[in-house]
Amino acid sequence: MNLLDAIELLKRPIPEPASDQGIFLECGFTPLHLKTFLGAHLRLCFPKDRIEIKTGLYGDLAGNLERVRPSSRSVICVVVEWDDLDPRLGIRALGGWRSSDIPDIVESARRQSEQLTHLMKQLADNAPICVSTPTLPLPPIFTTRGGQAHHFECQLREVDASLATSLSADRRVRLLNLQRLDELSPLGRRFDAKAEITSGFPYSLEHASILAQLLVALVQDCPPKKGLITDLDDTLWAGILGESGVEGIKWDMAGHAHLHGLYQQFLASLASAGVLLAGASKNDPALVEQALGRSDILLSKDSLFPLEVHWGPKSESVGRILETWNIAPGDVIFIDDSPMEVAEVHAVFPQMECVVFPKSDYQAGWDLLKRLRDCFGKGIVSPEDEIRLRSIRTASTLKSVLQERGLGAEDFLRHCEATITFCLGTDARDDRAFELINKTNQFNLNGKRFGESEWLSFNQDPVSFLLTASYEDKFGPLGKIAVVMGKMGGRKLYVNSWVMSCRAFSRRIEHQCLKYLFEKLDADEIVFDYEATPRNGPLQDFFAELLGGPAVPALSVRKVFSNAKAPSLFHRIVEVANV
Amino acid sequence: MSEQEDRLVRCFASVFPALAPEEIRTASTESVGAWDSLAAVTLVAVVQQEFGVEIDLLDLPELTCFEALRTYLSLYRDAGPRRDVNTDH
Repeated sequence: MNLLDAIELLKRPIPEPASDQGIFLECGFTPLHLKTFLGAHLRLCFPKDRIEIKTGLYGDLAGNLERVRPSSRSVICVVVEWDDLDPRLGIRALGGWRSSDIPDIVESARRQSEQLTHLMKQLADNAPICVSTPTLPLPPIFTTRGGQAHHFECQLREVDASLATSLSADRRVRLLNLQRLDELSPLGRRFDAKAEITSGFPYSLEHASILAQLLVALVQDCPPKKGLITDLDDTLWAGILGESGVEGIKWDMAGHAHLHGLYQQFLASLASAGVLLAGASKNDPALVEQALGRSDILLSKDSLFPLEVHWGPKSESVGRILETWNIAPGDVIFIDDSPMEVAEVHAVFPQMECVVFPKSDYQAGWDLLKRLRDCFGKGIVSPEDEIRLRSIRTASTLKSVLQERGLGAEDFLRHCEATITFCLGTDARDDRAFELINKTNQFNLNGKRFGESEWLSFNQDPVSFLLTASYEDKFGPLGKIAVVMGKMGGRKLYVNSWVMSCRAFSRRIEHQCLKYLFEKLDADEIVFDYEATPRNGPLQDFFAELLGGPAVPALSVRKVFSNAKAPSLFHRIVEVANV
Repeated sequence: MSEQEDRLVRCFASVFPALAPEEIRTASTESVGAWDSLAAVTLVAVVQQEFGVEIDLLDLPELTCFEALRTYLSLYRDAGPRRDVNTDH
């Protein structure tokens, strides 16, 4: 994006109704064009928001951080440069570059880095904070030639690395990945000495635009995709199973198939972070079973569920996999080496990202792995991530068993030894609750998402409550699967948000949640901020069944009514304190 | 009006959105209240990027109106940076 385009983009009117969002851009230099580019990239990502960017004072990053007072819809972007650690590391101050000055510069940078770290961590208590550590080259102050690193230069890089390490260890801080910045903005083209000296703005326009774009990606914090469906022949491994046989397919360097080995290894990494994986292959099921059972395979057979192996169309396989996972096509990536299969699946599921596996192009394979990480990347891996696929597999097996034995839901629920663990409080650090609120679509009261600032602000309100429910039965745990949040007003509760994972459907957990809220918070009535969305059909069905008719906005349920309409509940209830 | 002039008008319109199109060609630091130091820095940055030119610091004090910038860009296009043209400096 060039500066002219950015300015013109910012002049475009924002469609009403617009919601307000505040961004604090904190840096020690004149924000100038970085502010413009940040505003423009924010406009592209949040076209419906009226965004105000506030900036601080020149040359006082630490003071700016101390003065920030974020509101409930604010995000803080902090851009640190070398001269924020010590002004002598910039070119505007003339504080001395004698060799005897350098040790003092290093020590002063170390102290300032520690102070900035402390201030940023403090701010993270109140608002999401996105940080960029120094991006510019160090000035030529060391006694060695430019091609030779000096010990003091290495010490400064260590200070920089410590700053980044300390910030990245705090899960509330989103740290810009300098490796990605290096790819997009070459180091030699970042610094604009003329602009720095004449206006206190150190960046070239290209660098400012790219840095702003990456900061906005941190602000946006897109929810990751949830599942990946992979082909097998010439994708998970090299070769056609039906032709080469179980021992003839390869994924190693000796077999010139190392890319497939990397792909397997990468999928195993995704699976360990809670990404759902499934296989869709036109193949012989018995052969696939043997191939996936090979001892040298890098992706465990258990990581792929379901496995659709037959000779029918791929789109039918994909449809059944989506049904088993109970997630939307837009949350899934399909990968196949055949452009024809990719086109066929994409024609049936246009919202799904469908990718041709680059089986003979290592560079494209490397790019694919990076792209997949961008699609599935997440800051925190929760215990629920680790059990997700297992619980889907269990639910699927149970469904088959019930159908085979002709058992009804009542019998199943009575004998499955279910335990629901409730936790009532306002724990803003509950990442899983925050994640559920922001990614659940089907059993969702109104589809509204929470920004991190709103979440923190909501949980700091003394009349707020946050109820989470975890579930386990004799077939295994589902983890934390439901969240209800709202406010108390006498004997009335006002529920703003209610979500439940689709893995927990048909277990009557939603009835138990209502019952628990009525009893625990001594309420007579619950008012719901209900809104129909294109995807919250299961929630609509629940209310329709409970109320005996379609749900309407601002609906309320009285305790006596809810208890009378609730079906038999067989759960054992455990309460845990809000930590 | 030349294509170059059109592009310069677009630069002025982006930095001074309150100016009517007919006011842009006569715009100067005297006539446009919004032409402060911040606007000047932004205008120079926009023009440099739009035209792929590097405006010499010593020329900045002279570039105080639309016409001066238009002339500067014409000279730059014909003979490179203006410092090279005015060899008597």
